[in-house]
Amino acid sequence: MRLTFHLAGINNQNFLMRDDQTGTYWQQISGKAVSGPLSGSQLPFVHSDELTYGTWQSEEPRGTVLQDAAPYRSGYARKDWDVEMQRARTVIDFHEHGLKGRDVMLGIQSFGASRAFPYDQVVREKVVQDHIGAVPVLLVVAADGQSVRAFRDRIPGVLGAPDFYRTAGNPQGALLMDAATGSEWNFQGCAIAGKAKGLCLEPVEVIKDYWFDWRNFNPSTTVYGRK
Amino acid sequence: MNMPHSISETQRYRRICIAVLLGCLALSLICVVYPFYVIRPFRAQGARELAAALLVMRFRSAATLIACASASAALVVYWRAQPSRWRRACATAGAAFVCLLAALARVNVYELMFHPDDRPSFAAASRTKLDKDEKVIAVKIGGAARAYPIRNISYHHVINDVLDKVAIVATY
Repeated sequence: MRLTFHLAGINNQNFLMRDDQTGTYWQQISGKAVSGPLSGSQLPFVHSDELTYGTWQSEEPRGTVLQDAAPYRSGYARKDWDVEMQRARTVIDFHEHGLKGRDVMLGIQSFGASRAFPYDQVVREKVVQDHIGAVPVLLVVAADGQSVRAFRDRIPGVLGAPDFYRTAGNPQGALLMDAATGSEWNFQGCAIAGKAKGLCLEPVEVIKDYWFDWRNFNPSTTVYGRK
Repeated sequence: MNMPHSISETQRYRRICIAVLLGCLALSLICVVYPFYVIRPFRAQGARELAAALLVMRFRSAATLIACASASAALVVYWRAQPSRWRRACATAGAAFVCLLAALARVNVYELMFHPDDRPSFAAASRTKLDKDEKVIAVKIGGAARAYPIRNISYHHVINDVLDKVAIVATY
């Protein structure tokens, strides 16, 4: 049965949606049904990335783009919406790790653990190698300096978690080089030159979220770079 | 030959009708006001009150409809038992308010604030003009790639879509 959804409420500034078919209410951030006939069910996640349009279009020139709904265009966010949102108050907060409620984090909930990465720090570092639980992961910043992807730090056929280094970049799109095979990798996590050419790293789902929201729905989260 | 109702019986009918009207009004008010009070922006929601509010929202369409029907029936009986014009007027206003609440119970306030895009349209990237720095949520299923500009989806919040024959809901 296909479910179709509508905005239906809010729960500590994370919205709730209701499906038309069963009347069940679902939490947006978790995809979990919280009230109704399907309560306890989980919507399967579809992998997504938050990218700049320029980066996305370079990767998917034949892709399609959601168009503005003309009657509501005047209500759409302005270009500096993220700056404006920084000033909006929060209804809950968690004064932990020296973080403020609207600090932007990159959250990963996988491999039985939750971990948040301060977005500004990841952008500065450009390549972050860390662990989610016991699993090594790699966060990579695109050439645009804004888009971030996460991958499992494991090259098929290579033991352990190889080190990755940022390269100066080239027209073919190489961003990284790994120390194990000496291969060059692009922002899509695929080797485009070297011994590993043709292989791709396994993507890991990462959500860009405010600290207060991530922490509220991931109470056991740890934070990269903080004790 | 039918005997007229005694005065005490008439008074009893009136009281029952008023009790039904007031009960329907109270129920309808709870159904409309309580969820709106709990689930509103810039207010913290506790787990239990949210669960209660969602429960009310799930059943309030039926509950308020029954209340409207009951209030209307009680009004009819009350009119027959009550000659006073102003008391009839008050009871009528009460029943009308109950039915108004039944209509309001069907209004999705959140979609009044953030209109849904029930017929999303898409165009090829080659025909779309967006700043290269504009942020998008990017999804790819099979060979089909789709971008949802955040300034758009952050308004509608929910986009029901089908990508490469797979039904998805994009949310922000």
